[in-house]
Amino acid sequence: MANPNEAMNTLRGVRIAITGGTSGLGLALVRESLARGALVAFVARTAERVEQVATENAGAHGIVGDVSRKDHIYPIAIQITGELGGLDVLINNASDLGPVPLQMLSDTECEDLVRAFETNLIGPFRLTKALMGALAASAREGRGAAVINISSDAAVNPYSGWGAYGSSKAALHHLTRIWGEEHASDNVHFLSLDPGDMDTPMHAAAIPDADPATLKRPEDAARELLDAIAESLAVPTSVSRFKEQFDDCRNSTYSASG
Amino acid sequence: MIAATQPIQRPANARLLIVDSNGKFDHILRTSFVEYLHAGDLVVANDAATMPASLQGIHLATGDSVEVRLAARPSIHAEDINCFSAVVFGAGDFHTRTEDRLPPPHLEAGDLIILGPLRATIEKLLGHRRLVLLRFEGSPDYVWAGLAHHGRPTQYSHVTSPLALWDVWTRIAGPPVAFEPPSAGFALDWHTLSQMRERGIDFETITHAAGISSTGDAELDRLLPLEEPYRIPEVTAHAIQRTRERGERVVAVGTTVVRALEHATTQDGHVRAGEGVATQRIGPSSHLRVVDTILSGTHEAGTSHYELLRAFLDDATLKRASKELDEGNYLTHEFGDSVLIERSAVLM
Repeated sequence: MANPNEAMNTLRGVRIAITGGTSGLGLALVRESLARGALVAFVARTAERVEQVATENAGAHGIVGDVSRKDHIYPIAIQITGELGGLDVLINNASDLGPVPLQMLSDTECEDLVRAFETNLIGPFRLTKALMGALAASAREGRGAAVINISSDAAVNPYSGWGAYGSSKAALHHLTRIWGEEHASDNVHFLSLDPGDMDTPMHAAAIPDADPATLKRPEDAARELLDAIAESLAVPTSVSRFKEQFDDCRNSTYSASG
Repeated sequence: MIAATQPIQRPANARLLIVDSNGKFDHILRTSFVEYLHAGDLVVANDAATMPASLQGIHLATGDSVEVRLAARPSIHAEDINCFSAVVFGAGDFHTRTEDRLPPPHLEAGDLIILGPLRATIEKLLGHRRLVLLRFEGSPDYVWAGLAHHGRPTQYSHVTSPLALWDVWTRIAGPPVAFEPPSAGFALDWHTLSQMRERGIDFETITHAAGISSTGDAELDRLLPLEEPYRIPEVTAHAIQRTRERGERVVAVGTTVVRALEHATTQDGHVRAGEGVATQRIGPSSHLRVVDTILSGTHEAGTSHYELLRAFLDDATLKRASKELDEGNYLTHEFGDSVLIERSAVLM
């Protein structure tokens, strides 16, 4: 069904960067952003996949890089702001599941935990920090600016086997909230959004025997996320801050009923 | 003055010499410079990020090693990334003083230079044997990727360790259009900006493609600063207008901001928003129309930056200030100490 707000949720001319943009939710975000008129740069590790996605999605700027590596961050950042001429929206979507198959924490190798934190927490921290100047400039000019960190219900609920992923996403969620607090006056929005359980390669790696029919399509999740982003860009941070005060209450309502 | 050799943007002990409009001096820690600003002041900084503008490579015709330092491009548009003016050095790198660098091999129009993954053709020489117009092959995305991976920040021998981009990007760095860091902005961090907001001090930015500051060649250095594209956002132009109407001060962070704002200001003091190319030199005969105060690095006599400060101060006061910096053992160059200079009451 067409989204009744679609006309309002255009992203024409909005400069968006998406990490992990060659599969699952990231790829759906690239396609949906382009469809809404955004200027899109996406980042992923594998050169062949980046080239393929850039070729299949005319206009998208493909960038090869690994957000978990410190020495990749500035080359990624300069290509994003160089190719887009600035940045309005950063979507930190690239994620690492931790050990596959999933392991209990006490069976998790330290290296697997570190890798999850490097990808899910430290990478987004570094990239966001490097791009904060560009985002704040967009906000000053009234274009709106937002950082979206892709979260998970595993960030809130202690699911057995999801220790590396869940704890890194929990840290990312809190990082997002603190950053939002600190940059509210700069009008840079920080959103931690949970897209739900999706039919993606990552979900298949985590729960191989899940029935895809019970899972959300990444295209649907991408539409919802971009609706939320478009809405946040249109609203001053003072209003969204006001609404966020009620989030804890809403969230506990959802989990009580869910 | 002494060269600052450590690439630290905000040392806790960084110092600031204040020169007020009556030519009186004060020495403070730079971290407390916000206390010297007034509610109602408008601080304008350059939000350009710095490109990795130094590229090592091979001049194909001779097989000689060269270093290319990108110096300027025609505009700051994202896709306008294939053509640059550039200074070419012979074999070697920043460890050698630019004055002592080997000259490049004989360069001619049509010569190819291979710079890591990038291929560039010399379109023509620009009136000097080492200043060339270069054209990179490939799509804009390809050129950006090549620069991102192969380029290094342009640097000089006083800093001995190789610089990374994070050493030269200011906290507010946005569009990567500068060839050397707009280093006066090193003084700013997010905490400082929030302090300013709390005190009722406005903050806006321009984007100015700060060019190369020194080539080591006396003849070339006389041409500096080269023409520099810039962009002034509407919000910044409006904020300047409001500030001036209220009779408050416009404080420029760095010489590039002075150059852009003064270039964009009409005779009647109106700042035009939008893009431009700063072509003018600012010096003792310049009449400043819009900038009241400058926060800047410490500059040695004879540089174009020092010349620009002569528009703010009479020569006698500027000489006294230089002596004060020397005697106070202030550090100079991009990671050095700073000055905050109010335009002299005599010159207004």
